[in-house]
Amino acid sequence: MALKGLDIFKMSPKKNCKECGSPTCMAFCMKVAQGAVSIDKCPYFSEEAKASLNEATAPAMKTITFGNDLKLGGETVLFRHEKTLVNKNLFAVAVSTAMSAEEVDAKLADMQKVDYERISERMYVETVFVSNTQSDPAVYAALVEKAAATGRALVLECWDVECAKAALAVCKDSKPILDGATAANWEAMNAVAQEAGVVLGVYAENLSDLYDTVKKLEAAGNKNLVLDVTGKNGKETLANAVLVRRTAIKDGDRSFGYPSIVNLARVAQGDARLQTAYASMFVEKYGSIIVMESMSYAQALPLYGLRQNIFTDPQKPMKVESKIYPLNGADENAPCALTVDFALTYFLVSGELERSNQPVNLLITDASGMSVLTAWAAGKFSSSSIKKFFDENDIENKIKSRTLIIPGKVAVMKGEIQEKLPGWNVVVGPLEAVQLPKYMKDKEYEAAAKAAAAENAAKAATAAATEVKELSFEELLETKVPKIEVVDMGVKYKGHNPESQTFVTIGERIHCIAPVIRKAMDERDPEPILKRAAEQIAAGATYLDVNIGPAEKDGPERMMWAVKLLQENFNNVPLALDTANKRAIEAGIKVYNRTNGKPIVNSADAGSRISYIDLAAANDAICIALCSADGIAKDNEERMKHCHNMLERGMSLGMDATDLWFDPLFLVVKGMQDKQMEVLQAIKMFSDEGLKSTGGLSNNSNGAPKNVRPIMDSALVAMAMMQGLTSAIVNPNDLRLMETIKSCDIFKNHVLYSDSYLEI
Amino acid sequence: MSFVPKTQPFSGKINAVTLGTGDKAIVIGGQNVLPFYTFDAPIENAPKVGVEITDTANEWTAPGLREFYAGCTTMADYAKKAETMEGADFLCLHFESADPNGANRSVEECVADAKSVAEAVSMPIVIMGCKNLEKDGELFSKIAEALQGKNILVMSARAEDYKTVGASVVLAYGQKVGAETADDINLAKQLNIMLKGLNIPAESVVMNVGTAAVGYGYEYVASTLDRIRDAALKQADADLQMPIVAPVSADTWGVKESTASEEDEPAWGCAEERAIHMEVSTAAANLTGGADAVIMRHPAAVATIKKFINELV
Repeated sequence: MALKGLDIFKMSPKKNCKECGSPTCMAFCMKVAQGAVSIDKCPYFSEEAKASLNEATAPAMKTITFGNDLKLGGETVLFRHEKTLVNKNLFAVAVSTAMSAEEVDAKLADMQKVDYERISERMYVETVFVSNTQSDPAVYAALVEKAAATGRALVLECWDVECAKAALAVCKDSKPILDGATAANWEAMNAVAQEAGVVLGVYAENLSDLYDTVKKLEAAGNKNLVLDVTGKNGKETLANAVLVRRTAIKDGDRSFGYPSIVNLARVAQGDARLQTAYASMFVEKYGSIIVMESMSYAQALPLYGLRQNIFTDPQKPMKVESKIYPLNGADENAPCALTVDFALTYFLVSGELERSNQPVNLLITDASGMSVLTAWAAGKFSSSSIKKFFDENDIENKIKSRTLIIPGKVAVMKGEIQEKLPGWNVVVGPLEAVQLPKYMKDKEYEAAAKAAAAENAAKAATAAATEVKELSFEELLETKVPKIEVVDMGVKYKGHNPESQTFVTIGERIHCIAPVIRKAMDERDPEPILKRAAEQIAAGATYLDVNIGPAEKDGPERMMWAVKLLQENFNNVPLALDTANKRAIEAGIKVYNRTNGKPIVNSADAGSRISYIDLAAANDAICIALCSADGIAKDNEERMKHCHNMLERGMSLGMDATDLWFDPLFLVVKGMQDKQMEVLQAIKMFSDEGLKSTGGLSNNSNGAPKNVRPIMDSALVAMAMMQGLTSAIVNPNDLRLMETIKSCDIFKNHVLYSDSYLEI
Repeated sequence: MSFVPKTQPFSGKINAVTLGTGDKAIVIGGQNVLPFYTFDAPIENAPKVGVEITDTANEWTAPGLREFYAGCTTMADYAKKAETMEGADFLCLHFESADPNGANRSVEECVADAKSVAEAVSMPIVIMGCKNLEKDGELFSKIAEALQGKNILVMSARAEDYKTVGASVVLAYGQKVGAETADDINLAKQLNIMLKGLNIPAESVVMNVGTAAVGYGYEYVASTLDRIRDAALKQADADLQMPIVAPVSADTWGVKESTASEEDEPAWGCAEERAIHMEVSTAAANLTGGADAVIMRHPAAVATIKKFINELV
């Protein structure tokens, strides 16, 4: 149960002494509630208050560790879409003293046959469930020893104290679970478990007895528990599993906040198919250890696949390993097809390639689990990342074929890839995966590869003659940047005072994702760019964003040209420089005029793009700082962690805190409706710490009808400005949005009201 | 007795939709709790199991399937046999070969098949098309016309063709329609609203909210089901209270786990058994998430899932 800042404040010393670094006790308590600082920073909180806070802020469900660092429980939500599920369930195979030695041997041997990898995860039966049905300690210990020899973690189902002692004597160092406490024996069994230092499992006939037994064990000081919720049948077992989990997480009753064991060997005895059905249910509904009579490949393939899906973090895409996947018996002479490591992309593409029955080497590059176009736009799927992949995997030597098929969606990269991989014949493949079987069967790539080879040969001949050296910015400016002609567009930038508190709008419409802008950038054609700039300035944009695309090749001269073009035409309009090419940003800043404000570096994040902060610091620029590392932050705790990391880095490099504009990452309503309030709360947290914020606000209405988007965007901007948002990357030509922003600036008392405030 | 479980029945309720006629008619939906949460409130109607018959069934290779349908040649033969399958509640005729990019069987042939099946069986009938919008539009309309009075369910009205499919299937011929979307709760709601806009009563609509075999992006299906049931029950959102029908077999029989031969994957064992477990697992996961009916293929998988349902309700 998360505690609210105000609840903590009630217990605080209320001295406002500032020794903790926060201006007031209230501010400090808010930060404690967010997990942004530890309560220990305050020297005056009483020990009792701290203890009761620790109790109150402890998670509703404990994380229990056993075996070789296997983790169970620790869940904070009932459904994966609410946040994420934390610890995947484990599977166990049951052996028992009631079985013959041969039966046990066969079971253990069969169990170990299932051991394979699927999307970077080892799939195997993690635990052996060892049941005791008799009273001779030696007999049970022998069985336990046999099970322990598999090296898998053990769950000892044993209600006989002497047998339990004997079993632990042979296996306690492997940290098994002693699933042995009942309403009758809990005291003695607790002593055995405590003595051996192992997790204790609790079983009872019904939930009421289970609850009472747990209460007694907790009173005796043991909170290292798992609950065997197996009932008389499947129906009762589901009821137990759900009620226990729901009581813990929804009602916050920690006495049921422990992982569960469901024993399908008992509930669906003798029916492997029915066990598969039940296991599928308990993967989704709250089984922590699912015990099976056996685990064949027929069962493992669906069950482990399902588990992998269900326990995927909804905000972190599933990735496959970046490497060569030879398909349909491909050898070193088969052509190569290249794509990204997003799991769904991989499944789709590999499936279609397999259907073609043509040998092909599928090359999966590391693109942070993004889809092709998203990765391309984010600079994660670029000629450099591909080159890096080729080098790291030694593709050059491992594969003899020189045909490289790239996804049709990134046909624009062909030239750049060709340049980075001179020996290869780069061919643009089909746009959609479904077209692959025909494409491969008809060997459509062959002619294209031949053409590419001829082109390469011609290029090599001329290239040999001219050696290229990297030019300095001055030289580039001199030789590669066309002279700027000032054209009267009938619009004048009205100027911007960087000290002003008014909301800063960053116009987003000069972006390479728009084909007309991409073309204009490629051809250095000023007209389309000036047109969009004029429209945005006329509509009242404070800054203009200049996105020149990944621009791996000619980034610096592109950016210098764009910066000069816009500033010289529009009274030094301030700009946000937006590209994955850092040298291009640096070049842009070199020619940038600061009259109307510092340049903005768009953007850094807390992950692979953190060095953009260094770039901004070195060039005295503002930096947009995305509060995410890889993928969307899972909650505000993580957002604030990223925020503070970047803040610290920027400040240690001499930046002003207000030159970092934190972006909480606006999320799309269609898909992440339930996360919107959290994003708004993050903005409040930035604001409470005196930090500035910005973000691509209109992302919220992505995919919504055109007539609805301005309404959603303006409602959100009003809510966000209430929370303290200081800037946004927007389409300034959205009149409703701009009018809302101007109105909010009135209410916030940033602009003095006049009847014609909308016109100025 | 210190622990008293809190029950959680909801104010929202899933619509009850009747398919078929006479003794064999079935009702899907009707509950006001999460799937199988009998401890919160009784489940009004147990989830139902449908048996898929395709017009390419003669090409099925799994020995158990072949044996079950031994001697069957026409779709009506298959349907009659499927009706005897332990655990079957309804039949699903899947007109795969109508696809213009495939065998391109004519609409007339397909309608004749559907008619002969309807004459031969008494279980409710569900129609699945070939995924080609144009062909499906004609096929659905003609079958709905030919089987008037049978109260059949026609999967699928999509965002692209809901107007023509909805108007013909429900408004003209009085059948039931399935609103099909792909793992997108917002679109699922939107499509139901659009169907409502055509004056189609909510009780004539079921949903197919997207399917996948387990292991193949099933997390999207799982979360869509969770969120739809949350909206339908907790928020009592009438535009998402339609019962859900999940065609499971069409996905599970196509994935590598089911199709790879024993020569290619010697460690994996019997291919048919793998396909059965794949089908069982995917169906059980769908039922756990909120499907009110699943469509399956293999007799052993159907029997298992029926047993699973019967034990749980």
